[in-house]
Amino acid sequence: MIEIENLSKRYGDNIVVDDVSFTVGDGEIVVVVGTSGAGKSTLLRMINRLVAPDAGRVLIDGQDTTTIPEDELRHRIGYVIQGYGLFPHRTVAQNIATVPRLLGWDKARIAARVEELLDLFQLDPGEFAQKFPHQLSGGQQQRVGVARALAAKPALLLMDEPFGALDPVIRGKAQDDLLAIQRRLGTTIVLVTHDMNEAFHLGDRIAVMDGARLLQYATPAQLLTHPAEAFVEQLVGTVERPFRLLSLVTVKDAMEPGSADGEPITVSATLRDALAQLIWRGRPALPVADASGAPIGRISVDGILKHGRPLA
Amino acid sequence: MSARAVILRVAALLLLVVFVTAPQLFAFAFAPLAANNAPAIYNQGSLLALTLSHLRIVFLATCASTALAVALGIFVTRPKGREFLPLSRSLVNIGQTFPPIAVLAIAVPLVGFGEKPTFIALFLYGLLPIFENTLAGLTEVSPQTLEAARGMGMNARQRLWQVELPLALPVILAGIRLSVIISLGTATIGSTVAAKGLGEVIIAGLQSNNIAFILQGGLVVALLAVLIHDGLGLTERMAARKLGRFVDETA
Repeated sequence: MIEIENLSKRYGDNIVVDDVSFTVGDGEIVVVVGTSGAGKSTLLRMINRLVAPDAGRVLIDGQDTTTIPEDELRHRIGYVIQGYGLFPHRTVAQNIATVPRLLGWDKARIAARVEELLDLFQLDPGEFAQKFPHQLSGGQQQRVGVARALAAKPALLLMDEPFGALDPVIRGKAQDDLLAIQRRLGTTIVLVTHDMNEAFHLGDRIAVMDGARLLQYATPAQLLTHPAEAFVEQLVGTVERPFRLLSLVTVKDAMEPGSADGEPITVSATLRDALAQLIWRGRPALPVADASGAPIGRISVDGILKHGRPLA
Repeated sequence: MSARAVILRVAALLLLVVFVTAPQLFAFAFAPLAANNAPAIYNQGSLLALTLSHLRIVFLATCASTALAVALGIFVTRPKGREFLPLSRSLVNIGQTFPPIAVLAIAVPLVGFGEKPTFIALFLYGLLPIFENTLAGLTEVSPQTLEAARGMGMNARQRLWQVELPLALPVILAGIRLSVIISLGTATIGSTVAAKGLGEVIIAGLQSNNIAFILQGGLVVALLAVLIHDGLGLTERMAARKLGRFVDETA
């Protein structure tokens, strides 16, 4: 568990982070979102003490981070930045091995870990281990950057705009991959972005920042239905709101008994996807199938619409 | 490297080696230049010995310049040393603006004749290119790379040795190459203060008005410069190729 308590940072007369507190549960993904200059990155960098806070403290599993030597703390916290900062003079394998080497792991253990991570990120070790960063595509560099951050099995991963340098097509895939890997490893993630869609896609909780202050810290659904301030409401997008809400709920929750004609929708799809299918095919209802393809119910436009309003 | 380039370099090296070990073989080529029955080939000492001591003093001076300039470059790019950057810049610049001949004139009364004053002149003259290139190489390292290194828990020493210096290496090597080439030429004036070197041949030629001598001394220095320049350039490209950059600049 990560507890952020009353963190503040000022540069001269300029307050960059103003009394921010929130708690991140184990295995959660928390997305810090806000306009540029809102203090998101500074907040993130105070967690691994790349920036020293003026006031407040950070507790990791109850332990004050200032009691841990800086470098040791950072060995325990994965860190991914926009542009990744891969070492251009080192191969992919050497890049990934950075923290294990700093920790003094033996060669065999490092080699095994590198191979494991390359497999996890769908990079064939035979092909990629000996390549240099400039020989990789943007998406591959991004995966190496995350793999490097995860090399020493940190319980906490900090990510600062990790998808910012990717084009939209690759970005969606990279986000899905990150979610899958996070579910598998159970790593706690604090991720900074200015992209609201990314925040809703990835976040178990979202922290909205503006002008150095934390405006609201809540689950995506709460953020949509009960925005704390006008700025939050504006940020989540008044027009987009119902669709974002639908994208947080799966077909399973709006399924009705009965049957319908047509191509079935899988039960794990989001209501937003289901509604899109219904509109596109011009049908009031479609059958729902489970993972194996067997029909288990139906989903209707009316049923979906009930979930698109805060008071439903 | 193309086959032609390799052959050209090997030929130049062979020519140099044969000329300094057996200069008499080339007497026919220099004879027309030597007027009044003067000897066509330098006869007051072994060309080979002079070449070796010439190389030796250049090597020693460059090593000393490299050690100081790189250390200084590292120091002024650390947070502690940043305020010394303007000061070290002007010091190193003074080393470069002082004509080597003036350094010799000042150094001889202090340290006597021979290799020492030459060493001092070459050492001072060689500092600037290495220092400036060390600075350029170290400040060129991308801030993202350094941020990542810091974020992964590398301490200042680890960042310097594992990230900054390897990335700056091609640029530093280019500075050393420049310094060596300047020193090879400049070392010839060391002979005016009795340092053993190829300058002796040139000076002997000037004194006896023998163009053949002047040409021989100049030719050996020029061949040395071209070959060493080439060899060092090759090392640089090998260091740079790994990084996938600078390659065009050094080619």
